[in-house]
Amino acid sequence: TAGTLNLGLGVLAHLERLETQTNRSRKNLDPQTETAESALEAKIHKLRCLRDKLRAEVKERQARVKASTASVEPDQTLEVNEQEAVEGKQENMKAILQAYRFTGLSGKLTSRGVCVCISTAFEGNLLGSYFVDLVIQKPLRIHHHSIPVFIPLEEISAKYLQTNIQHFLFCLCEHLNAYAGRKYQADQLQSDFAGFLAGPLRRNSLCNLLSFTYKVEPHGQSFPFCARLLYKDLTTTLPTDVTITYQGTDALSTSWEEQRVCHENLFLTKPLHQVFTSFTRKGEKLDMSLVS
Amino acid sequence: MDETIAEFFKRTILKIPLTKMMTVLKAWDFLSESQLQTINFRQRKESLVQDLVQLCESKRASLHDAALLDIVYTQFHQQQKVWDVFQMSKEPGEDVDLFDMEQFKTSFEKILRRALKNVTVSFRDAEENSVWVRIAWGTQFRKPNQYKPVYVVYYAQTPYAFTSFCQLRSNMPLLLQALTVASNHHKIVKMDLRSRHLDSLKAIVFRQYNQTFETHNCTTPLQETLALDMHMDSRIIHENRIEKERVQRVTQETFGDYPQPRLEFAQYTLETKFKSEFHEGILAERKEPLRCLIKFSSPHLLEALKSLAPAGIADAPLSPLLTCIPNKAMNYFKIRDK
Repeated sequence: TAGTLNLGLGVLAHLERLETQTNRSRKNLDPQTETAESALEAKIHKLRCLRDKLRAEVKERQARVKASTASVEPDQTLEVNEQEAVEGKQENMKAILQAYRFTGLSGKLTSRGVCVCISTAFEGNLLGSYFVDLVIQKPLRIHHHSIPVFIPLEEISAKYLQTNIQHFLFCLCEHLNAYAGRKYQADQLQSDFAGFLAGPLRRNSLCNLLSFTYKVEPHGQSFPFCARLLYKDLTTTLPTDVTITYQGTDALSTSWEEQRVCHENLFLTKPLHQVFTSFTRKGEKLDMSLVS
Repeated sequence: MDETIAEFFKRTILKIPLTKMMTVLKAWDFLSESQLQTINFRQRKESLVQDLVQLCESKRASLHDAALLDIVYTQFHQQQKVWDVFQMSKEPGEDVDLFDMEQFKTSFEKILRRALKNVTVSFRDAEENSVWVRIAWGTQFRKPNQYKPVYVVYYAQTPYAFTSFCQLRSNMPLLLQALTVASNHHKIVKMDLRSRHLDSLKAIVFRQYNQTFETHNCTTPLQETLALDMHMDSRIIHENRIEKERVQRVTQETFGDYPQPRLEFAQYTLETKFKSEFHEGILAERKEPLRCLIKFSSPHLLEALKSLAPAGIADAPLSPLLTCIPNKAMNYFKIRDK
């Protein structure tokens, strides 16, 4: 009981002390707390003023907006003009992105990587476009593509895709452009210069082996020559080997032999259709000479 | 005409269904338009066949012409054969392929004839610089059996060839050797890919099954189509709409929007040890791997797999073992413990 009494006394004494403390602090204001309090009061006052000012500003702006929407004409045309300008810029941008095709190599970002478009051309003629859809992961891989099956895509990817993607694309561009160029020449020969051919044009998928029999004059009495063009370099549009033979068993006269050698040179240095165009021109010259 | 050849003609023409008769004969291009007009195509099939055989006889049709007709028939009925895929390779650093179709045909036939005197080899050029080869095998003393031929479809200047399943399998090594050498390759390997649909195999192997590419010229927002399905009837509220949309999205990312190439089955040969949470029991204690074969069959396997998750039968994403089929160009898998 003594112990609990002491405890109770102790608690009571503590409470008494706290009470006197509060009374003292109410009466004798501590200078430090006083300044702190007044400083806080001043701050509150300042913030309240700022709040009122901002509120007033918001109201003012809202009123201005309402007023401007009320007077429809001048502001709406401003908006419409702005919108048209933006749309115009958008269309322009879209057109530029679409026109990038003409640079030969363009692309569009996809959700998993990029879809590259290789547009081929030969002598200023725009030929086919081919796509490679790449997945940007480690390792970099091809998701799907429209490269013809006989282009050695697997070989080129194995060499460059992981280590040097620029070179991969460049190499692929080279192959595709060269293929498109060779194909264009072969197609031109079959369509525009069919009159010169004494038989069908033999060609393969890559158009890197062409074999045909031709005459220098389409309807004339000239000799048929057999030409065999090999394109051992898949990145070029001119043949690496040209062999011209003739079908007869007799030896060729010197003039024909000269022509044969000359033709071999022509096929090595000029695109196919240009060679045949020159034959046409020669024929025309001959005709002219006959007339005069 | 030789009796056996006449019989061969009769049996080949008899195979052709009446609905396709005109198309096949025109593609064969042996009987002219005017000659075909002299035949009554409305009579009973047996009489029609007899008339056609007589017409062929009068035109002095040869075994070679009959073989070509057989090729045309098979080209129109590709699904009747099961096709295997072979991949050839060259030595690294070999010269550029100067492929000459005539040279290929001569070389191919020469190699076969050198080994086997009695063999019928026929060629028919097809689209995309490909060639169909028909081979009828004989033996040293017997003439070729025209009713069990094997077909090879080769795409020039590519490493791929497709062969039809042939019951006379002993000659396959010779055929593969002829194909490899004639096409200027060094090695040939059989791929783990097989189907009745030749065009699908071609699409898988040449990676042509997806021909849609994103360019700046096209604007096809895909999200719209998904949203449309969900809001068809406003009285229906889809409780698990979010999950459904997720499944749609994952399926579309995996399978794409294009038609899937057509395969009939996928076969998994497992040789793995039994894995269980409870490391007890006879199976778990077994030291040797278990061997089992799992085969998924369907008239159109990949479309069926594509519809599994949207139908709620399987979770999305599907196991990569199923979704890798077109990408890896395989539908036969051997799974072993690593």
